[in-house]
Amino acid sequence: MSKYLFKIILSIIILLPFAVLAVLSLGRNWAFPAVLPAVFTFDNWRVLLLAQSDLSQSLALSLFISIVIATAVTIASFFTSKFISFSPWRRRWLLIAYFPYMFAPVILAACLQYYFLRLGWAGSAGGVMLAQLFIAYPFGVIIFTGFWNERLHNMEQLVATLGGNAWQTYTRVLLPVAKGALLICFFQTFLISWFEYGLTRLIGVGKIQTLTLKVFQYVNEANVFYAALASILLAVPPIVLLWLNKRYVFVNFN
Amino acid sequence: MHVIAKYSYLTLFILLAGVPLLAGLGYALLYSLGLTGVLNEGFTIVHWYKSLINRSLWQSLGFSFYIAFITMSIAIGLALWAVVRQGEAFRSGYLSFLIYLPLTLPATVIGFYSFQLLAKSGLLSRLGFQAGLLNDLADFPVLVNDSWGVGIIFTHICMATPFLIILFTNLYHNENLKSFAALAQTLGARAPQVIWRVIIPVLLQKSFATLVLYFVFVMSSYEIPLLLGSQSRQMISVFTIEKLQRFNLQDIPQAYAISVLYGMLLIILVIKLLGRNK
Amino acid sequence: MWLEINNLHKKFGAEPVLGDLSFRLAERQMLSILGRSGCGKTTLLKIIAGLETPDAGVIKIAGKVINNVSAHRRNIVYIYQEPLLFPHLNVFENVAFGLRLRKIQNPTIESKVLEMLEALELNEQARKMPHQLSGGQRQRVAFGRALIISPQMLLLDEPFGALDTETRAVMQVLLKKIMQTHPITAIFVTHDLKEAIIMGDAIGMMEKGKLDIYPDKKTFIEHNEHVKNEINFWQNL
Repeated sequence: MSKYLFKIILSIIILLPFAVLAVLSLGRNWAFPAVLPAVFTFDNWRVLLLAQSDLSQSLALSLFISIVIATAVTIASFFTSKFISFSPWRRRWLLIAYFPYMFAPVILAACLQYYFLRLGWAGSAGGVMLAQLFIAYPFGVIIFTGFWNERLHNMEQLVATLGGNAWQTYTRVLLPVAKGALLICFFQTFLISWFEYGLTRLIGVGKIQTLTLKVFQYVNEANVFYAALASILLAVPPIVLLWLNKRYVFVNFN
Repeated sequence: MHVIAKYSYLTLFILLAGVPLLAGLGYALLYSLGLTGVLNEGFTIVHWYKSLINRSLWQSLGFSFYIAFITMSIAIGLALWAVVRQGEAFRSGYLSFLIYLPLTLPATVIGFYSFQLLAKSGLLSRLGFQAGLLNDLADFPVLVNDSWGVGIIFTHICMATPFLIILFTNLYHNENLKSFAALAQTLGARAPQVIWRVIIPVLLQKSFATLVLYFVFVMSSYEIPLLLGSQSRQMISVFTIEKLQRFNLQDIPQAYAISVLYGMLLIILVIKLLGRNK
Repeated sequence: MWLEINNLHKKFGAEPVLGDLSFRLAERQMLSILGRSGCGKTTLLKIIAGLETPDAGVIKIAGKVINNVSAHRRNIVYIYQEPLLFPHLNVFENVAFGLRLRKIQNPTIESKVLEMLEALELNEQARKMPHQLSGGQRQRVAFGRALIISPQMLLLDEPFGALDTETRAVMQVLLKKIMQTHPITAIFVTHDLKEAIIMGDAIGMMEKGKLDIYPDKKTFIEHNEHVKNEINFWQNL
């Protein structure tokens, strides 16, 4: 296959889902065997503008939860993984990080639901965020363990011999050097929270309707057009983050 | 100061990563042994016994393994083919950005898209109808909610292939495979030999741990089989959660027994896997 | 003597790295320490820099015990084999780094850094990023970054170890020249015999955590079988 043809076909395959979702989100009345919906309208999108609508509330709630999770996890796992990486028991610590990461989140949630119900945390945004931390935080730690290597440790010591105190070491060297890793961690943990379905449903007991849950609900209601619209909304923040990553992470380290 | 920070972060880590897992598995274990929960009937292994002789548990595990195996075989094959044949396309130019795009869609959305594409009244069926290939809805094959998991496998392949292409492209570059290929050629290897004896073995060996993790991820997946699976054959997460939410109280301890069993399998796998790789 | 090290002990687990090590060094002298890898050279330097704590022993500078002074207050710079330039800062800012930590005024920093870059023949490279430099240039930036804060002591841990033979010779001459214009007490660790002889005012041999110091090159050559063999080899060619 020629290189040109390969690129074209692959691009079409990659872009097709976005095109299908975009068309459906604008559609109405899609009877078999028509290939395209009979009516195109912005009505579905207009719902978003209503502050009171379910969809815009879900969007706001999802953004809030995911931004808080990604920020908290990025900060905490940056430091945690430093201590783990330079610990003599590094491997054992990492085992603890891998378990929640591999365990099916929905089964973990089923096993933990009892505690959340007993403590009165189920069905609250705080409870859902805490539960999401259980899977996002170990993952963040795993992301940073590749970052904290011997070289960086030497660089940290070098700053000390040049007269830098702990605060200066972080603000002037470690954090700027970690910029790429911090962005990647933020991106990945944001996605974990943003995409999370099973655990959020079980711990949120139906009261915490994130956007991912909303897509599921529309699909179950056979509301294809709203499901497509919610799907597009789900894809927007990750695409923005991807663009930021491409722009700020990859360029600097070439 | 430094020491205080160190111990507070490590404590936080144990509290948020270690304790929940132990607490969850502990509760599930107690429940499955009749020591807590609604039934709370006193120590018994009857639920474990019932779970373990239950054919549908083993069918479900087998089905999950089958889905993961077929998905990974096809996705690894496609990704290797793409990287070996057109590797440079993913390192620069617009494809190096486009290939990341599928990762911005969650499983739920890709599942929904597969459904719109593959269902009897879906896009493919409509295109077939317009092209005169089909005369009736019934002529289109059952590709979603089918008992062979075609829809589930298709969706997982859509998610896994771009991820694996990115993984292999990075490895190809980082492991300096170009030089190895050139070296093999000077030793007399022909082009197919370079691919089959050098490039593919190195890529698979270096990505082994990630591939196993992805295999487990597919096996444990929940949303995709929930949307695209059938009632008769369920993947393990769907099977467990459904059992938990049934009205029959006897099912709950069995579901917890299955959770513990599954958790134990994963723990053994992690220890084996991390023991193998540094 | 200016630097006094008395009865230093250090173990990592059960493994003794330094065993009862003592030596003295006069101010503005450079001591070369020769030794194989794993003989404890790096640990000794890290203890003097304050990056490791000894199990026992006393370190004095100008009569004052500095054991409890933390690394960032000792004003002793440690130079690694790898230049470890900060990847996010250009050459100018890498050299200026220590002055910025001390909150020195901008015009002062400007003139000091330019002067240093001049001395290191790096004025053309001031705006370049570390990855745009050659190996020798990077190590020169690392020296500039260390020397500009006028440290009371310099610890060099195989600083030319990663360079090719030719660059290494150029750097040895350059460092020697700088040390003559800005004399600083220094310890230079290497496993290269010739380099040890070129760089050091005094020479030490380190083996299994013990250090023997020879006050001058002549005694060093007289007491060292390996050196004698080497000289014989070249003479008998």
